[in-house]
Amino acid sequence: MSDKHTIKVRVNGIAYERDVESRLLLGDFLRENLNLTGTHFGCEHGVCGACTVLLNGQSIRSCLMFAVQADGCEITTVEGLGDPDHMHPLQQSFWDNHGLQCGFCTAGMLMTAFDLIRNYSLETEDDIRLGLSGNICRCTGYQNIVTAVREAVKTLRAKPIA
Amino acid sequence: MAFTQLVGSRVRRVEDPRFLVGKATYVDDIRFPDTLHLAFVRSTRAHARLGRIDLDGARQAPGVHGIFTGADIAAALKPIGKPYHEKVFPPSVCHQPKWPCLATDKVRYVGEGIVAVLAESRYLAEDAAELVDLEYEDLSVVMDAEEALKPGAPLIHEEFDSNMMVHVTGGGGDVDAAFRDAAVVVRERFYTNRHMGCALEGRATLAKFDAEGDITLWSSNQMPHMLRTRIADIMGFPEHKLRVIAPDVGGGFGPKAFVYPEDVLTCYFARLMKRPVRWTEDRREHLLATFHAKEDIIECEMSFTADGTVRGMRAKIVQDLGAYCADPWPSPFEGLQLAATLEGPYKFQGYAYEVSTAWTNKMTSAAYRGVGHVPGVYVQEHMMDLAARRLGMDPIALRMKNMIRPEEFPYVTLTGLNYDSGSSTDALKKAADILGYESFRREQLEARSQGRYIGVGVSTYIEMTVFGTKFMASAGVDHGNHDSAIVRMDPGGGVTLLVGTLSHGQGHQTTFAQLAADELGIRMEDIKLVQGDTQATPYGWGTGASRSAVVGGGAVVQAARKVKEKILRIAGKMLEVSPADLELVSGKAQVKGAPTRAVAIKEVARMATFSPGRLPAGEEPGLEATCYYDPPAFTFANATHIATVEVDIETGKVKILRYVVVEDCGKIINPVIVEGQITGGVAQGLGTALYEHLLYDEHGQMLTGSFMDYLVPTCTEVPNVEFGHIETLTPLTVGGVKGMGEGGAIAPPGAIANAVADALAPFDVKFTELPLTPNRVWDTIRKAREKKSNPDVSHASTSAT
Repeated sequence: MSDKHTIKVRVNGIAYERDVESRLLLGDFLRENLNLTGTHFGCEHGVCGACTVLLNGQSIRSCLMFAVQADGCEITTVEGLGDPDHMHPLQQSFWDNHGLQCGFCTAGMLMTAFDLIRNYSLETEDDIRLGLSGNICRCTGYQNIVTAVREAVKTLRAKPIA
Repeated sequence: MAFTQLVGSRVRRVEDPRFLVGKATYVDDIRFPDTLHLAFVRSTRAHARLGRIDLDGARQAPGVHGIFTGADIAAALKPIGKPYHEKVFPPSVCHQPKWPCLATDKVRYVGEGIVAVLAESRYLAEDAAELVDLEYEDLSVVMDAEEALKPGAPLIHEEFDSNMMVHVTGGGGDVDAAFRDAAVVVRERFYTNRHMGCALEGRATLAKFDAEGDITLWSSNQMPHMLRTRIADIMGFPEHKLRVIAPDVGGGFGPKAFVYPEDVLTCYFARLMKRPVRWTEDRREHLLATFHAKEDIIECEMSFTADGTVRGMRAKIVQDLGAYCADPWPSPFEGLQLAATLEGPYKFQGYAYEVSTAWTNKMTSAAYRGVGHVPGVYVQEHMMDLAARRLGMDPIALRMKNMIRPEEFPYVTLTGLNYDSGSSTDALKKAADILGYESFRREQLEARSQGRYIGVGVSTYIEMTVFGTKFMASAGVDHGNHDSAIVRMDPGGGVTLLVGTLSHGQGHQTTFAQLAADELGIRMEDIKLVQGDTQATPYGWGTGASRSAVVGGGAVVQAARKVKEKILRIAGKMLEVSPADLELVSGKAQVKGAPTRAVAIKEVARMATFSPGRLPAGEEPGLEATCYYDPPAFTFANATHIATVEVDIETGKVKILRYVVVEDCGKIINPVIVEGQITGGVAQGLGTALYEHLLYDEHGQMLTGSFMDYLVPTCTEVPNVEFGHIETLTPLTVGGVKGMGEGGAIAPPGAIANAVADALAPFDVKFTELPLTPNRVWDTIRKAREKKSNPDVSHASTSAT
């Protein structure tokens, strides 16, 4: 027996109205209902961070939220960050600094980093590492990701990190 | 304007944009209408006979289109298995078990697939799976490899008379003489932790059956041609009507280099149901039912003379295989490779080993980055440090004394490994210099006087890379390991590379383009890489085993050279000079020493396709060449890792202060890629050393079934790596390149065990079990303190996890 609820969300600036089951995960809603497959599932239990998106400006794990909980909210996914012709400075910095290998964690890393840079002070490299510690990467060993975020902070804030 | 030399340069990856903007295509991103979703009922028992399976409730569930048991598919699908060639490993010597795609009479590990449910969504398929009712008749569970080998142990594969898959002995030299009259013998028993590759993208499959009767399978797999060949065999399906595509793959590391039941079943059900079928595993399934790795018990002894010359080694290895055997690379690879490589970079006079490989009621073990090397180097290097302590020698001095010297390469080990070239002593010296070893020792004394425990640990190794077909044959594996490339230039002068390897994070779209661009004198932007589609690419063996730069890159260069020679012949005719007087530079075929006499490569390309009548006599139209390249059995890379740590003796917590890597992988194509591979490998190696452990309880239930318990290193656990590079070109490959992808993961457990023991030198401890959790470190210190205060009381060793 399915139960359907009508939700209204704005995703990457576009308004959507959809009928969803209560148990549909937000990440599945983005991937299946809206065909935004840039957001990935790596664990479905809130540890790996691959599913991170922005909800009303804050980074959240879309595997730990139901679509119905996002009713009336503004969501930004990696597709809303930039495209190949107009990359966000974060995306550009990841590219310039070899901040990805297989790419599966990258969307989540970018969205977390976006939140970090906008909402936290990030005085030191340790601050960046702590801020990213909720996003697992199995390929890179993190070093270049940290560099990418440092460089992006410089670009976005014109203030270098110690 | 001259193009820069690309090979050897730090070139930014060309493939990155699609990943950065969320437009990459992983298997689960692909959508077809009418797709059915597959979910599995998996065993909740580690060892049991299967009784009644009640599907009535599940069949009634909404959206269900089909439910299948092992009995339903047994006639159509062969079991997975038999990877060893019977000529090399006959049945009398090696037991090769059958792994059915769905369990039939028995289950052998928690997580084994029993029932397959096909429904309109994954949610509905899992709802239905929950309604399946199963009867199990529990059997005694075997959770320890040594117990499994004892007479009377419950038999996991009852068609055999024991739980031993294969038992091998080997070695070389005179080991008894090497131990006779030895001044110092170090003897230890090691346990290495069951863990796994754990790529961030789990396994995923999607299959379509079309009107021509062909099947297309998308699979998150490292070796699409291997997968096609194996599935065709298992299904009894014509291989030429099966197309396997590995699109973007979110990490591999070894476990995805095999055929799994889910790959076969997805194809089978797509054909049966005549609808697309997909399966995407979740992390719980991944930890339960994707190949595990590296659980070994190693008893090792080494003998030394009084002045620290190493003489002999004996090793007794028991490998925990889990419940079955992986296909096509057989699970015993781990134990056998461990034994074969244990001499490392040291010169032994005698070595004898014995390897037993035993089944247990756990998920099957297969390959994960640094097969055999990870446990082997940990053992080898920790033994060296323990020996240094006994001999009163500095650990680096002891190593230098016993390492193969530069002038001694090529060097053949007692097990017959031909180290073609290497720089073990130089890498060790350079790493020590980068660290400032002497200065650290002074710092250590100072810290100790302040009650702080800091230490340094070295781990140095020689690594097998490439694994050419000659090796596979000698190892009894019934598969090849060549690779291939087609280089095809279109009339516009652009080039398509079609390759048999499968980049899944290693950057081949960039590095292979660097190789081809330099060879053909064109720009990287003019080159496109096609991989991962068995319909388009020549037969290859994918990516793993540190092979692609050598075998894939080697095939690309050799094919590109054939195209280059044809371009030169055609240009020679156009310019009326001998091809030998021409070179390809910056998009032109130009006369050496007289560059204004030139013709654009694009012109040559256009002529080859549009005006073949004007080509030199005997030339075929077009500009295309293929190379199938079977490389040497091995080329050997080497590296030294040095870690410094601080240990909190009240909590057992280990903090890494610095981490230095000096590596030698021969000719480097792109240092950015190499450093990225090393750093990623180090992160995984630190996981092995400190955090990761797949644990089962005594009933065979997994205790580490999520990322809350299976601890993959995060950003705060991995230090910045300091690099040094040496390039000792090997004479054996195209361009002198060696493999290196696995290396970063190999050395860390040895480096960390050594560094922690060194930090705790005042307690005189050793670490013969991984991982070095805070509990284990703390408990080790506690026992050492007790022993110091009660030297006469016997202190039984208990395993602290």
